[in-house]
Amino acid sequence: GREELVKGQGRGCLLKEIHLNVTDLGLGYRTKEELIFRYCSGPCYDAETNYDKILNNLTHNKKLDKDSPSRTCCRPIAFDDDLSFLDDDLEYHTLKKHSAKKCACV
Amino acid sequence: CEGSSGLYFPQSTYSETIYVGQPAGAPVLQVHSMRERPSEEPYFCLSWRNIQKPPLYAAWFHLDPLTGVLYMNKTLEWTDFDSLSSSTLGYTRKLTLKVAAAPVSQKATCIHHSRVDVSLTFINATAPSCGQKMEKLCFPDGDISSHIKENRLPGALRQLRRFTHADICPNYTISYRVEADSPVPFAVNNATSELVVTAPVDREEKELYRLIIVCNVRTADMLHRLDTPLLINIYDEDDTAPYVNGTDSEDVLIEFSRSEGTVFGHVFVYDRDTTPSYPKDQTENKFVGTLMTNDSWIKDTFTILHGFREEKAMFGNVRGTVHEYKLSLSRNVLVDERRSVQLDYLVNDTTYPGTEGTVMLHFNITILPVPIQFSNITYIFVLSRKSSIYSQIGKVCVDNCLKFKGIDIVYQLEISDRNVSSDVLSCYTTVNVARSLEEMSGVLYVNDTKPFYRPECQELQYVLVAQEQQKQLQTKTHLLIIFDGEAEVLRAERPRSLTCAEKRQRGECETFKGMGAPTGRCHWRQGTDKGISENYSTCSPDLRTCPDGYCDVIESKNMSICPQDCTRVPIIGGHERGLMLGIKAGYGTCYCYSEKCFCEQDEMEEPICDDMCKTIIATAV
Repeated sequence: GREELVKGQGRGCLLKEIHLNVTDLGLGYRTKEELIFRYCSGPCYDAETNYDKILNNLTHNKKLDKDSPSRTCCRPIAFDDDLSFLDDDLEYHTLKKHSAKKCACV
Repeated sequence: CEGSSGLYFPQSTYSETIYVGQPAGAPVLQVHSMRERPSEEPYFCLSWRNIQKPPLYAAWFHLDPLTGVLYMNKTLEWTDFDSLSSSTLGYTRKLTLKVAAAPVSQKATCIHHSRVDVSLTFINATAPSCGQKMEKLCFPDGDISSHIKENRLPGALRQLRRFTHADICPNYTISYRVEADSPVPFAVNNATSELVVTAPVDREEKELYRLIIVCNVRTADMLHRLDTPLLINIYDEDDTAPYVNGTDSEDVLIEFSRSEGTVFGHVFVYDRDTTPSYPKDQTENKFVGTLMTNDSWIKDTFTILHGFREEKAMFGNVRGTVHEYKLSLSRNVLVDERRSVQLDYLVNDTTYPGTEGTVMLHFNITILPVPIQFSNITYIFVLSRKSSIYSQIGKVCVDNCLKFKGIDIVYQLEISDRNVSSDVLSCYTTVNVARSLEEMSGVLYVNDTKPFYRPECQELQYVLVAQEQQKQLQTKTHLLIIFDGEAEVLRAERPRSLTCAEKRQRGECETFKGMGAPTGRCHWRQGTDKGISENYSTCSPDLRTCPDGYCDVIESKNMSICPQDCTRVPIIGGHERGLMLGIKAGYGTCYCYSEKCFCEQDEMEEPICDDMCKTIIATAV
């Protein structure tokens, strides 16, 4: 939720969730188990600094050759608990750091 | 003095229901005690958990000390039910009594003898009237299994009548009888309605009797027949002696395997009695073994391992015990030890009452010395100048070294001619030897690649020394390394990383010079399986050793050689971890930056044109 946001930084950067099958994750596991996947999404314009504005201008004016340094983006700063599941061959797997718990513009 | 008699109860618990209005003097149930000797006439008494302070309801009951019949001492009133405190509300109360049995001669101490639980359910209602279910008249609710011990006296075992229900239908006549598939030593005493065992039984013949108790109820106009199954378990005692089947001796040869804990040979001892595992301090049918020797060398070197298990098929479908005795080394045996010893082991069935309760086992042990030597060969290896550092050149092994266990061999390289010039002497840093971890062989590997670029380094003559560590036995052979091919041109700028495993595609893999590659180039393994597979796609310096699921002695020298086998850190993406280290199976392509590995499906994979697609193209053309 909204209260999870770091104050004053990136009010558009939110924690969202989607209900998925483990197979949707595309990691190759064969199982019928499901999970709630949480991810960070949203704009980070309001968290930008002079540094970001300068980079934006330099990139726009093609002053940095082909280089394109990354700008502020909405990323997890904490992860959900581990997820364990049984696959179709009755073997256990555990996913770590697979789902976001807290988001921020970094 | 508890349990000093042979008396025992053939049931673990007795239970019955009692009702309001049940009159004083009415029988409730009857307990039975089985005897070991004819002189042990049982004497019954009521016993309480706290003998000083029996519960309120203790005075409601009276037990006939000679027949074991429990009677009501008072007529039960509605107020009696209310007087019983209970943690739960409801229409029933549970009354717990204990009955003890002692031989008549010890009746003064009766309450200290073996006891059985009697559980009475007091229902807050009057007894049901006649016309209820016939089953209730004939048999109690729930399981009615019994047990008796083998080899004991015949006698009454259980009361079949439900005393509390007998007066409900005074006009009915109820009688019982036993039915079974084959003749059984059980019958019903028609005068008393007791189930009686008619002869001593033998557990080694039959462990479980399945009886059908038939109850005939004669009403005014009809005869009703009702059946219920009754199981009688026969309890075991140690009444058979141990024996061997065929041989009581085993020949044991100790040669290449001589490490502490190695197990040789086994001899079986059979016993038709069962051996309980619990409780742990049980002495029943316990076997005690003794090593029959005074020789301290034998005592310090060998131990006999004993295990037992229950088997049924070989004892005529009745449970019996198979004991297994194995010889085990309690220390490493030296390589030059040569000895023949006979080891006798006495097995004693301590609870068998006869004199035949022992068996003697024999282990005929031959210990042969192991010569530490190289067969008459000189090792010759051709080494490409293109090889990378940590490439594996080959293995060296003293005779039979792959069979060694408990023999410690260290390999070393020495330069055969020490009088060569210092220029030539520095060529010899090229090769080194390491001891492989799982077997007693040595692994030759490239330790330095600089000599490849120097013209004076052409061929290396070493002396390979193998030394056994306990007795310092040494043996030597010649080792010749011949350089082959041209060295790669030295680039001024060396790449920052030399890990083949970093490469994610066949093209960039096969042109890369990685650490541990004998040809100087990395090799690509193309996985073909879908999903998470042990045959994942990856880039390796040497497909014979990497990835093979095992982090060998050379690979463990540097994490960059084969992180697929050696990584210790968590793997990202779909995978199965190796037992201790490395990736057991991965999804798509697995690649690693230093020790951190990733497994993922390559996104650049082009969709394959299937039959349907081909048809469409053909039609379009």
